[in-house]
Parts: sequence; C-alpha cells; structure tokens
Amino acid sequence: MIVTHELRKEFPGQQKLFRPRGPGTLAVDGLSLSIPPGAVTGLLGLNGAGKTTAIKVLATLLRPTSGSVTVDGLDVVGNARAIRRRINLIAGGERMVYARLTGRENLWYFGQLYDVPRAALRTRIDELLDLVGLVAAADTVVERYSRGMRQRLSIARGLINKPAYLLLDEPTLGLDAPIARDLRAVVANLARDGVGVLLTSHYLAEVEQLCGHVYVIDHGRLVAEGSPTALTAGTRLPHTVELTLSETAPAVSAAVETLAARAGADLTADADAEGRPRFVLRSPDDLAGEVATAVVRAGGAILRLEVTPPTLEDAILAMAGDPVAAR
Amino acid sequence: MMATLRVFAAESLKQHRRIFGSKLVLFSMLLWPLLTLATAYYTVLPVVESPEAVRRWPLVAEPGRLLAFLAAGALAYTFFFSLVQSAWHFSFERVSGTLEAMFLTPASRMALVLANGSAALVQNAWLFGCFAVAAASASGTLHLAHPGMLVIAALALLVPAVAWGAFLNSLLMFSRDSAFLYTLLDDPLWFVAGVRLPLFALPVWVKAIGLAFPLTTSLVVLRGALLDGRDAGDLAGHLAFLAALSAALLCLTALLLRVGERHAQRTGSLQLF
Repeated sequence: MIVTHELRKEFPGQQKLFRPRGPGTLAVDGLSLSIPPGAVTGLLGLNGAGKTTAIKVLATLLRPTSGSVTVDGLDVVGNARAIRRRINLIAGGERMVYARLTGRENLWYFGQLYDVPRAALRTRIDELLDLVGLVAAADTVVERYSRGMRQRLSIARGLINKPAYLLLDEPTLGLDAPIARDLRAVVANLARDGVGVLLTSHYLAEVEQLCGHVYVIDHGRLVAEGSPTALTAGTRLPHTVELTLSETAPAVSAAVETLAARAGADLTADADAEGRPRFVLRSPDDLAGEVATAVVRAGGAILRLEVTPPTLEDAILAMAGDPVAAR
Repeated sequence: MMATLRVFAAESLKQHRRIFGSKLVLFSMLLWPLLTLATAYYTVLPVVESPEAVRRWPLVAEPGRLLAFLAAGALAYTFFFSLVQSAWHFSFERVSGTLEAMFLTPASRMALVLANGSAALVQNAWLFGCFAVAAASASGTLHLAHPGMLVIAALALLVPAVAWGAFLNSLLMFSRDSAFLYTLLDDPLWFVAGVRLPLFALPVWVKAIGLAFPLTTSLVVLRGALLDGRDAGDLAGHLAFLAALSAALLCLTALLLRVGERHAQRTGSLQLF
C-alpha cells in the first residue's frame, strides 16, 4: 500500500542575481492518503490544487519537504531505487517517449532501463503494443505518430515494468473517446489483477466510473474523501426534478406547491415551448417519486419527468468554493 | 553489472537513431572533420613556412608530418567535441519529457550518463577514427614504438573522453541554460588543448588552463604514441596524469549527479524548460 502521512511539499522561491530569494510555493500541505493495491483511487482538485506535485512525490521525482511517504513500507527518500521498480507514472500528453525511435524500440529502451528480464521483454512489448492498439505502427518511428498514438505509446511505456502501483496523471488527456474508453477498461482490469492505481483526471465521469475511493484536495490540502456517491451526497447539492404536464389544473399546481414547501425545495413554475405547464424543483433530496405521486393523486397527467442528480463535478466545484456550483 | 550493460545497450540504440536519423550524418562524421582539418592546415601553412617557425618547430619542415600532427589533433578534437554535442542533446531530454521518464526508472544515473556519452562517441567518431588511422598508415606518417602503442593511444583517447562526456552530461542535464557551455567548449577547446598548435607555442597561462581539459594530455599521448614513436615508459607521466584526471572527472560526475538529482527533487526542475 502507498501511504502518505502529513505530506508537505514546498518549492523554494526563485533565486535572482543580487536579490533575495523570492517567496516559496506551498503545493501540498499536510496530505494524508492511502492507495491500496487492487483498487483505483482518485485524487481530484482544480488546476493548481497540488495533484501533480503529490503524484510526483509518490513517483520519487520530487522529495517531500516534510511528512512521510511509504510504498509497501519502503520510504520514498531512503529506498527510492527499490520503489522505482514497483511503480510507474503515466502523464497525459504526448511526452516521455523518443520521437526518433519506433514504438517497439521505445518500449525496448525503457524495458532495458527497468531491467525487465530479457526473455520476458519481447513478449511484454508485443502484449503492450496490442493492448494500446499500436501493433500495426510498432515499427514506425514515433515522429510519424499522431498525438493520440504517442499518448498510447506513453501508456504502454508506463506499463513496461509491470508496476505494482500505477500513478495516472490525466492519462486520457487528448485521447479520442474510443481509445479513452479502452484505457479505462485497461485500468479497471489492472486493478482487478491487484495493481494499486492512483488516478487524477479532469473527466470526472471517468473518476466516478473507476474509483472506489476519492480524495479531494484544494490548495494542497485534503478537503474531503470518500466514494464518489458519498462525496456527492455529502455536499447536499440539489437534485433537479423537471416535470411537464399535459394541461394546467389548479389542484395539481397546489399539490406540487405544497410538496415543495414541505420539502424546502426551490420551485419554478412556467410553460414549455408548446405552452404546457412545467415545474422545476430543486432540493438536496431526490423528490421525483414524491412529486410524481402527488401529481397523479391530484388527477394530473405527466408527459415528461426528468431528474438531474448532482454530479461529482458539481461536488468538487462546490468544495472548491465555486458559487455557481454551490447554487 | 548486467543491468549496467543493458543501460549501455539501450543508450547505444538511442544514440544510433538520434545520430543516424538523416543521411547528412555522413557529412558531419567525415566531411566536416576533413574540412576542419584542411582549414587548420591551410591556416597554419603560411605561418610555418617562415625560417623562424622551422627553427622553433622543426616538424613543420615536413608537410606530411605537419598534416599528421593536425590530423591527430582533429581526430582527438572530434572525439571530445562529439561529447559536448551529445551532452547538449542530453539537456534537450528535459524538453521532451524523457529526462523525467529516465529518472523514473531504477537505472543507475552514473550508468546512464556514461552510456550516453560513450554511445555518442562511438557513433560519432568511428568513421573519422578509421579514416585517420588508415590515412596515417597509407601515408607512412604512423611511427609506432610497437603495435601495442596503438591500444594505449586508443585507450588514452577513449577513457578520458568517456569521463569527459559523463561529466558534461551530469553538468548539462541539470542546467536549463547550457548553450553557453557549447560555445565555451568549441573554439576555446581547440585553442587551449593544442589541437592546431604545439603546446610549447602557447603562453603559460593557456597551458595551465589546457591541463584541466583531458583532451590536452590525450593529444600529447596520441601524438607521442602514433607519430613520434614514443613507448609507454616515455609517456608514463602523461598516462598517469590522464588516469588521475579521468578518475577526478568521474568522481565529480558522481557528486554532480547526486547533488543535481537532489536539487531537482527539491525544486521540481526536471520538468522545467
């Protein structure tokens, strides 16, 4: 398991000639989290929240200013080399591969650096090329690859050492939808096979789909954690129920108004484009069932009922203090 | 040990693809050193034709030997400058993100910089090296005390060059603003190392600076072993100095790698470009 305890990372300020050093930047501030094997854990936050810095500390590319990080009990500072054998990092974008080498050669190069057993390396490379859909382009130089192909190769590079823990920093950035979907399937399979995955992504639907547990950070601090469902429920953001009726009836309107008042919901009543009565209720609780029952009991006929629950994205924005999301 | 050899194999492939990416590489591998040699020869020729020059430097009375002297300089310079170029390219790995990818791996950092330098050296210098030895043999300017001196000359060129390359790699890998070193180590290296002129013709202060560069002593050994028929005993002092200088460069490389990686981990500079 990867465990961070009170992790803090401050970047020193810039040193200018004949001037005092500028102020430092606190990127991660007292972060404690656990990434178990065999599960996908999410790390979310807005831009500049400290996600990438935290991931790079776990990957041994950065050194913590204070606090501790252990991977299966090994400290990231004292046992960096042993940890590098167990982990890998895949960052979004098309970097981290060599443009003048072919896809196969890139994987061979990194396989050599990871000292992947020689007999297994060839098979491993073929498996990975197949996994990321680059078999046909395996012997083409990377400078002729499209952006998405480079990114897929970068993903294969991140898997070359069969890492026990995989750190994914926006891995689907710039990928076409089908490829991103395939990658999500790969990540889910890796977790099923026992790999511990830490995922940051701006595509929160991806996080909701893959992660059993999510940490939310803001300005380097942990602000919430839990399952995506629990996080969404915990913010008490409104469910929106939109109801379109066949005709106006005072009894039905009264029933909806009574329900809204009792539940403390915001109610908007207007008409749709075709002049049919429409009610929109916003409440922390899902009132769809209750409002449908009330309308039917009052003799109304429902033409359309749409429920929009709050998303993880709304929850993250609300936690980050976005006033629009909070409304 | 096996892991280190695998790093060497990986870097060899990378350097091969980088250097042989275009057919124009043959220009830089052979024609460029030959043009540089011709420029040096015809620049020196009018000066050395004076009677005063012949008195101070008798070798210039024989154009064939003068050319061999300059060719040995160009050969050694090609070796050492190819490592400056390689280190400069190594610093580009920061931009492409591959420097971070390399540092994610458990590969020994020392093995990485040594492998990078030696792979670049072999890829860059083999053609001109073969050409120079063949030309020297054919023209009769090769004057060996015994055949084993060829091996000593090769080692005196290769070992310090690899140490020099590793040192430069470690220096440039952690520096974003490395272009000045490229300029600093081009023409000034020619000058202070005695590539075009014999060391005795240089001012004392230039000679003192030149001693800090392994190219200077490598050249003394190379010329002594290949052109002047000197044996290992004659060159023992220079060889010992070269060994000490190479060892010092490797120690400094290890220190720089350690300090540099720690600095990068503290500041996040591996990703800055």
